[in-house]
Amino acid sequence: MPTSIREGREPVAEHPAFKSPVRAAFVSYAGIPMEPAGPDAPLTLEDASSVTKTIVRAGPGTNARRQLSVAFGTSRTADGVLIAGQRPDEWILMGPADASRALVDGLDRAGHVSVIDGTHSRALFRLTGAAAASVLEKLCSLDWHDRMTPDRAAVSASVAQVTCDIVRDDLEDTPSYLISCDRSYGQYLFEVILDAGQEFGMAPLGAPAG
Amino acid sequence: MIRLPPQPGEVIDRSRPVEFTWNGRSVPGFEGDTIASALTAAGVRVVSRSMKYRRPRGYMTNDYWDPNALVQVGDDPNVRSAHRLISHGMVVEAQNVWPSLDNDLRAVTRLGSRFLTAGFYYKTFMRPRWLWPTYERVLATFSPGGRIDPDTPLRYHDKRYTHPDVVVAGGGPAGMAAAIAAAEAGAGVLLVEHCHRLGGHLLWGDGRDRALAAELAAGVAAAGVEVLTDSTVTGRYEDNWTAIVQRNHPVAVERLVKARAKVLVAAPGLIERPYVFAGNDKPGVMLSGAVRRFLNLYAVRPGTTAVVFTANPEGDAAAADLERAGADVTVVDARRGENIVRAYGGAKSVRGVEVTGGRKLECDLLVTATGWTAPTSLLNMSGDRPVYDEASARFFPSVPIANVLVTGGLAGDGSHEQLVEHARATGYLAATRARSVAYSLQAATTRSRPATGDRPAWPADSRPALPRHSHPPLFRSTTHGVVDFSEDVSSKDMVGAAEEGYDSVELLKRYTTATMGPSQGKLETVNTVAVLAEARGQTIGEVGTTTWRPPYAPITMGALGGRLFEPVRVSSIQPWHEAGGATFVLAGQWVRPDHYGDPAAEVLNTRENVGIMDVTPLGKLDLRGPDVPKLLSHLYTNKWMKLAVGSVRYGIMCTEDGVVFDDGVTGRLGDQHYMMTTTSSGAAAVWEWAENWLQTEHPGWQVHVTPVTSGFTSINVAGPESRTLMRRLVDGVDLDPESFRYMQVRTGTFAGIEGCFMWRIGFTGELSFELHVPAGYGLAAWEALLEAGEDLGVRPFGVEGQRIMRLEKGHFIVGQDTDGLTKVPGVGMSHLVKLDKKDFAGKPELAHALTDRSAPVLVAIQPTDPGIVPEEASQIVRPGTGEIIGRITSSRMSPTLGRSVCLGQVLPEASGPGSELTVLMIDGRRITARVLEHHAHFDPRGERARG
Repeated sequence: MPTSIREGREPVAEHPAFKSPVRAAFVSYAGIPMEPAGPDAPLTLEDASSVTKTIVRAGPGTNARRQLSVAFGTSRTADGVLIAGQRPDEWILMGPADASRALVDGLDRAGHVSVIDGTHSRALFRLTGAAAASVLEKLCSLDWHDRMTPDRAAVSASVAQVTCDIVRDDLEDTPSYLISCDRSYGQYLFEVILDAGQEFGMAPLGAPAG
Repeated sequence: MIRLPPQPGEVIDRSRPVEFTWNGRSVPGFEGDTIASALTAAGVRVVSRSMKYRRPRGYMTNDYWDPNALVQVGDDPNVRSAHRLISHGMVVEAQNVWPSLDNDLRAVTRLGSRFLTAGFYYKTFMRPRWLWPTYERVLATFSPGGRIDPDTPLRYHDKRYTHPDVVVAGGGPAGMAAAIAAAEAGAGVLLVEHCHRLGGHLLWGDGRDRALAAELAAGVAAAGVEVLTDSTVTGRYEDNWTAIVQRNHPVAVERLVKARAKVLVAAPGLIERPYVFAGNDKPGVMLSGAVRRFLNLYAVRPGTTAVVFTANPEGDAAAADLERAGADVTVVDARRGENIVRAYGGAKSVRGVEVTGGRKLECDLLVTATGWTAPTSLLNMSGDRPVYDEASARFFPSVPIANVLVTGGLAGDGSHEQLVEHARATGYLAATRARSVAYSLQAATTRSRPATGDRPAWPADSRPALPRHSHPPLFRSTTHGVVDFSEDVSSKDMVGAAEEGYDSVELLKRYTTATMGPSQGKLETVNTVAVLAEARGQTIGEVGTTTWRPPYAPITMGALGGRLFEPVRVSSIQPWHEAGGATFVLAGQWVRPDHYGDPAAEVLNTRENVGIMDVTPLGKLDLRGPDVPKLLSHLYTNKWMKLAVGSVRYGIMCTEDGVVFDDGVTGRLGDQHYMMTTTSSGAAAVWEWAENWLQTEHPGWQVHVTPVTSGFTSINVAGPESRTLMRRLVDGVDLDPESFRYMQVRTGTFAGIEGCFMWRIGFTGELSFELHVPAGYGLAAWEALLEAGEDLGVRPFGVEGQRIMRLEKGHFIVGQDTDGLTKVPGVGMSHLVKLDKKDFAGKPELAHALTDRSAPVLVAIQPTDPGIVPEEASQIVRPGTGEIIGRITSSRMSPTLGRSVCLGQVLPEASGPGSELTVLMIDGRRITARVLEHHAHFDPRGERARG
């Protein structure tokens, strides 16, 4: 009698049935159709919902916590997987499925440790460009100054009235933010961010995942 | 009134003519003109009517604060016409005039002005009370608010949150110099100026003034200061939370900038104060600043024969500017003991002025320069109580505030050099204090860049004080005139009110409404205080001022509302629902298919064949850890310590007062792994409830609660053919009735999708599976069901079909069939309350509730006439007395049974099976109904679901 949900799964982007919460036709919150931009566009929003997301919860004193080695509010990358200390006892791992699974398989489960697949429960977007913080300023009340939210910072906040986890993950010298929210809000949040970015010339990048 | 030849400081572009309309008449102007300058250049003198007496009014201060300048522009009421720039085709009208600006028939109120003194409104319209609706209709026509078309489309308003080191309020010389110094010291600076360009009073000054303005503006740009022009700092709140309304945003109509300033620099400058004398509101009576702005910024001469009553250099400069522009000028100098007594002339224009000694001077322009009001609002909002300085006849800050620094005219007087030096010292101090604040913030925030080095010392304020120039105290002449131009309140009204006993300035303000109009005290507060002081025989310092509260300037509702965010949630199947012609209903934030055209047919198909429903919004919490059973036992009223792996149990949650708060099933998926479902609307609250108990009362329990509502697309597969359909798609789970029984859970593969779980439960009362698929594959699962079940007659059903079926089965919905007082016995679930458990949420109250025989109980109700469906919330009344004894909580026509079906709450004495009830319909009819034995109208033994 199989009763446990498998932890980790196939690389979702390669699964033909996977659908992102974002529709194939890009539309802003104001209902304006938006043309996708090329990778050289100065300010972009990319749907990265197919990235494997793993939620690790580890209580105080566990080895898993030491293995993750990421303090609350910060993040680091290990073997291509971004590990973000999203809450005091919760880490979110984002990266390729195989690398994520390898990382999770290596975690010591002794003590109070849970590993939950968050790939399907979270929408994930990447906002990139010199004006990225100016877009966030329109939607979220946090301080995006380099001093307060430097590269690698991890925060949770309301973005356009949706609770989001945000990790600053600069691409070389260009500010870039990974924004994830409950999947059901994905289409709304994507449209709202596109809309907020219009005054800065934002364009959607690539195609929705899946 | 003419347009002068090009002036050295003019801000109009004569190469770009602009045409707009004023009350239907075409008016020419130039780019850069305000409505006021263009109208004045075109010879318009009267632009509005006063609020109470409908007196014709013309431009008086010719700036943002001009109380006479409010006009209607298109659909925008209350536009400040001495600030708003003209644009081609703009439609400008006088507002609240009837029938026209030139002939406002309501000016008859002037005839009764001797009776319309302060308090007239309160004294007159309070009786007889029955006449109030009539009074209200008439008084509403006097409302000064302009008009709004309710059909105007929504416009884009915006918000921005920012955290600058230093916010500088005011872009005059002091504000600019402070901003430059702060930025040069390394601070991030936001400079806010309410006019269209930086410079303040230097812009309408002489060549030396303009050169300094240009030099400072260049310095601002070079220092990398962020500048918001045409923007106003409207309030300062706790912790230097500074509200700024930005009016010149490139995209939004207005943007509310919420700036958390580490240090705020207040440099608003000074506001010229009107003089109180008879006739002081006649068109053609202006302040010296108004005249200089007309002449020097817009090259418009507002009169040809001018009398200038001056007590200061600015008034002298206005006289000189007028002379240079070709006007005949007579100076009446207060410093020589001269005074003006009354202005005379027609209602629509001043024709002359009587000066002390009875001499009369003819003029079409009367200019006053009698002193300054210090707009200390931001300081008052920061806790200061500014004090009056008799020698300079204005208020000054009284106590230093650590993170609010003052410079410019608010701090004192002096030469350009002295003011700039003080401002630069202020900017530097602001930057160094901001650095110290930033260090503390960094040190206290986990995500921030670590604060390094020693905490910067808090710099002391070593700025040299600015000198204060003396100024004659000029507030009111020997005659009475208007004090509050917005509210039409005269000095005579105020003296009368003081005599009636309203002798505190706060009482006087509320009784006369002085300082409560659109100028918000900028022009009238000090005169109000001075008039009251005179009436009471006290000094201005003894009287004190009214309280300056936010907003500093009136603010639109649009700016406060900002961008309209309406988050909505959709399931993975939403694209199919839209293509499939669903009619949607908004349930909380979830967009859900209500039906696909015919809910009754959806019900019958589900009862006869098989139906599928998207139930993704069903709350789902992943629970892991060794102590999950303890948590479940605490949250639910029934027992959970021995739930077997693979089993599912129903439970009710109560708040601590025993009131039903949520219900649902929880299944055990593994040894230390459970999946809890909640009602769709209760998902967030239950998560919070669980975390609250874990974090505050039982931190030792090892339980991880993770919301996964959207992580799984949930599909209810219901109907006699549901097992057949599931068999075609499920791998790795034995669906045989004996292997997978009612109230059990299994995990497996569905349509090739791994990681699914399914349980045998359902709200419809049919043989039913609730299937949960990883959400990225939800649409694929839904489409697979429709394809595989085509020959079985599979069809989707929506929320309405589900609601009908659950009502046929008598299943209650928390919040619909329960209310804020319903405890577990009230829904007939007393058997689920296990008082032998050591503890659970609501236990003490439920112990009492189980023996309480007075609370309403939920029963199934059938109207005698099977064709009648009483509206939900219809009252159930006692036949003789009409006393309310209950209400219908749910009602529908049942397509399965061909009759109406209801649930309702009634008092216990009327709840027995067979009890006759009287239901009061919305149309007033009374119908009879009967209480049934079971909640379920259909299949009361539950045989279909267990099949």
